[in-house]
Amino acid sequence: MRQRHRERLIEFLRTIQKPDRPLDTVAETDSLVASGLIDSLALLEIVAFLEEQYRIDFAAIGLEPDQLTSVSGILDLIERETR
Amino acid sequence: MSLVRGLTQLHEHPAVVARWQAWTGPLLSRLTPPRRRALLAVGALYVIVRRPLKEMAPAVDVRAPAGPLAGALVVVLCLATVVAVYLAARRFTRLPAVVRNRPQIWLHGAFWAIVGLGWLVPDGAGVVALTLSGLVLALAFLLWRMGYLLLSGQRGRMAGTRFSDHLLYVYPAYGGSGVPYGKGLDHLARHEATTDEALARSQLAGLKLLVLAAIYHGLLALMAGLVYAEPRGHWSAYGLGVPRVEALLPLGARGPWAAAWSALYAGLVWDVLKLAARGHEIIGVLRLFGFNVYRNTYKPLLAPSLVEFWNRYYYYFKEMLLEFFFFPTYVRRFRGRPALRMLAATLAAAGLGNLYYHIVFNDTFLLTLDLVGLRPWLEARSFYCLLLSLGIYVSMRREQQRRGATGAGGPASMPTRIRRIAGVWTFFALISIWADASTATFGQRVEFFLSLFGVR
Repeated sequence: MRQRHRERLIEFLRTIQKPDRPLDTVAETDSLVASGLIDSLALLEIVAFLEEQYRIDFAAIGLEPDQLTSVSGILDLIERETR
Repeated sequence: MSLVRGLTQLHEHPAVVARWQAWTGPLLSRLTPPRRRALLAVGALYVIVRRPLKEMAPAVDVRAPAGPLAGALVVVLCLATVVAVYLAARRFTRLPAVVRNRPQIWLHGAFWAIVGLGWLVPDGAGVVALTLSGLVLALAFLLWRMGYLLLSGQRGRMAGTRFSDHLLYVYPAYGGSGVPYGKGLDHLARHEATTDEALARSQLAGLKLLVLAAIYHGLLALMAGLVYAEPRGHWSAYGLGVPRVEALLPLGARGPWAAAWSALYAGLVWDVLKLAARGHEIIGVLRLFGFNVYRNTYKPLLAPSLVEFWNRYYYYFKEMLLEFFFFPTYVRRFRGRPALRMLAATLAAAGLGNLYYHIVFNDTFLLTLDLVGLRPWLEARSFYCLLLSLGIYVSMRREQQRRGATGAGGPASMPTRIRRIAGVWTFFALISIWADASTATFGQRVEFFLSLFGVR
């Protein structure tokens, strides 16, 4: 299941990433913002993606930006909230 | 280009890191994370006493002469408040639901209740009056730090942490303003070095910031002399004599045109250098202690968009506004309407949150609650916050659209980049007209603004 979430997430990240930074070079635990793959503004799009695709209600669980800065952090959140 | 990059990134070069480890080896091994935290906690013991006494100084000017009793009471009451918030954060799940749902509003509500109480007590009430006033001013410094402490409890991150760990940022020995540089313990811990090599890297990065801070202080001294021709600056005899914006604003439209523009751009560079110097000192010390957090200011004068400038100019202030204003609004309001959602969240953070933060640090208002006296400042500041919010919002939308458009294209050309940077400088220089701590009225500021474009 995690692999399927991962594929979906990577597919989405490709639509918001900066053009000159290949996604493949970023490790799963690396910060997406610090590695230059996305800007901090893209976090809002990640929030919208998670709300829409996984029905995650951030108003109820609270939004912790640091959770959304790495692929593994986002996948952990998806697993926790869709369990 | 690679030579410049090599020099600026020298502190990350494996050979340099290895050399540093070799030089400081035994010391690095002994400075384990708990010991480094303990050192900062010892420093916090000094700050527990020093900071409230420093913050309450304006109250001493307004009210009765300071007695040691009032000072001691303020120090103890501040610490008692921090302990109470710490206990609330530890037992967050056991708090009443009404508090759990809006902990920050309760924290700020309690603060304003103390402000109100201080206002009700007459000036002649001696130690009681001075203690309450001093407490209000000292708590204003602690307010946002206690906010991070509560946020930690809300996110279930208090397990395994001790009170002394939280003292690090609530009473920061590494310095700071009302804005908690390095945020709270959650953020600091995430960036804490856990190996000798990571500590060496963090310390070298910290030293780099301290060197940069010294250079910026030198540049400020040069600027004070060569640009402003101020006696305290270097080579002031050769100075251009550009006036300070603060001095020109009360003149309204009567200010000289060229001097006005020069003052605005020089003021922007001055503010950036000053903030960067101070921020580098604070983050530099934090990094020496193994907390390898982001720097507060990172080349904002090269930012190609307003949102990028805002992100790089005062990072921890922006982060604070995001955590406490932007995200809570973003996840709750207008979820089905993306543009409106972003506008509301931006207005809440860069507008309302920004204004509120500055009200909390308006000593005179906190002590007197004089809304009439606050009005000139409030008018100008509100307008500044509105312009800033709208600018950031438009910039964010443009960035989103640009990102979609450049997906197939590439980075912007140099002329385009220079044009964008010049636009960013001009925007922030112009809106500073309403942020400057001048005694000018709102009308005088508007006249000054219009005169820049020949309207007199």
